[in-house]
Amino acid sequence: MATGATKPFGLFRNMTAKIAAIPMILTALVVFAGGTIWTVVHSFTGSKLLPKLNWVGLDQYERLWNSNRWIVSIENLLIFGVFSLIFSLVIGFTLAALLDQKIRFENTFRTIILYPFAMSFIVTGLVWQWLLNPEFGIQSIVRDLGWTGFDFDPLYNQDIVIYGVLIAALWQGTGLIMVLMLAGMRGIDQDIWKASRVDGIPAWKTYLFIIIPMMRPVFITTLVIIASGIVKVFDLVVAQTSGGPGIASEVPAKYVYDSMFLRQNLGQGFAASTMMLLAVVIIIIPWAYLEFGGKKRD
Amino acid sequence: MAAVTERSRLSDFMWPALAWIVALVFFFPIFWLVFTSFKTDADAVKPEHLFFFTPTLENYTNMTENYDYWRFATNSVITSTFATLFALAVGVPCAYAMAFNPSKHTKDILMWMLSTKMLPAAAVLYPMTFLTKNFLGIFDTHFLVILVLCLINLPIAIWMLFTYFKEIPKEIIEASKMDGVTTWGEIKDILIPLAWGGVASTALLTFIFCWNEAYWTVRLTTVDAATLSKLIEGNRAPEGLFFGRLAAVSTAAVGPIVVLGWFCQKQLVQGLTFGAVK
Repeated sequence: MATGATKPFGLFRNMTAKIAAIPMILTALVVFAGGTIWTVVHSFTGSKLLPKLNWVGLDQYERLWNSNRWIVSIENLLIFGVFSLIFSLVIGFTLAALLDQKIRFENTFRTIILYPFAMSFIVTGLVWQWLLNPEFGIQSIVRDLGWTGFDFDPLYNQDIVIYGVLIAALWQGTGLIMVLMLAGMRGIDQDIWKASRVDGIPAWKTYLFIIIPMMRPVFITTLVIIASGIVKVFDLVVAQTSGGPGIASEVPAKYVYDSMFLRQNLGQGFAASTMMLLAVVIIIIPWAYLEFGGKKRD
Repeated sequence: MAAVTERSRLSDFMWPALAWIVALVFFFPIFWLVFTSFKTDADAVKPEHLFFFTPTLENYTNMTENYDYWRFATNSVITSTFATLFALAVGVPCAYAMAFNPSKHTKDILMWMLSTKMLPAAAVLYPMTFLTKNFLGIFDTHFLVILVLCLINLPIAIWMLFTYFKEIPKEIIEASKMDGVTTWGEIKDILIPLAWGGVASTALLTFIFCWNEAYWTVRLTTVDAATLSKLIEGNRAPEGLFFGRLAAVSTAAVGPIVVLGWFCQKQLVQGLTFGAVK
């Protein structure tokens, strides 16, 4: 009954709405906040096989930042993150612009490009492990076609292995970005195109200077999706390279996982995951807050 | 004028051609996976047998007879279905509340829920394993898998539902309130029928995410509640071994979802473009 009416007690306003949202908030709080606090607390302990509360101060963090493996992991995540952001946006936008030319069988085309997205990370990782295998993958196919000097074996080269993972990730994720961007383009008033044509502005310029700025909300959605994809690179690395060759394609989440479950070094794992949580808190939350939180005050 | 027609004739031909080349590139890995699944393990690693080989169903019979494919598949169906249902059961009221009774903090709550998607799952894996194994005793149960799948997909589900619900005119809900319809009645008789397309898209997408989820399902199960992701994981072998078999397992694991996606193309695309169409 009281919807919309301003009542003096904010707490009791929209009571049903608040009650309806409680289950979600409660479960999220218990699982995420509970798990997070537990992890942070134990990162200051010397836990080995089992979590114990024997405090060692910042020792775990010191060891972490002195570990070569951790440094390689961070570098890989940065490379992967930056490139997957750039390429996802560029390829996704280009494909969307291509599809925006009103080609026939657009739906079929869109579905095909979207298909990799329906594949799990494990399958994506496996398929690309095979495709990038020099003995029977793309390299051998191209060599059989006559170009015998063709070299393409990123998964066996320490320097570029992370780009091999990047290719698989782009293959899987670009379709979604494209579909989102296409929807954004279709939402734009067709009169703008007419106007720019009358003024004789070339199509690429219209895209770059008029359409892209108008697609701001879509870009924000895609950024959120790309960011959560970057965090999930762990699954792909495990399926595709297992962190190899050597430690060349390690990522932070794998460091956490290996410390906890393979090397029986829980404290290290907790310290590493706390660093990851911290990174998320520092980078993503303020950005998201500005982006989403700022708007409502306008 | 001539320039215009020439240009459009060129683009008439060029853009579709380019589009189809891209589509082929994107489709090739899937095609390759399916092809490999019909090869023997020996043929699978020989480049000369890329297109020319004697197809065999050996991998598939082997899979159903020796690896208990149907048990894993049943587990996948059960866990994904129930997780989707629970996610909707919790998500619909929550999105309803946020869409029709927004408060000052609605956007903050939504953003906070989304930000949980960006938290590294590795950070909570140990507490989860420890808790479920040693205290709650629900490790490797359907219940746990359903709970986890539901929880990790809730933020996206709520976000999607919220964007659909927001499109419904508030007046409809307010009018029904005047008529004395209960909150539950509003959701059941007005909201869900009106936003049916959106709810269906959300359900479909949540289902796909649940089906493909590997991180948690592989690590929180051993036998009883193991899903298809676990079956693939269990069949992985050192480099170059059993590729035919692994390809068959992978094809059989993603097959159902790919077929489902084909039949529900419209919902899928609608679902995936949530919030983007303005």
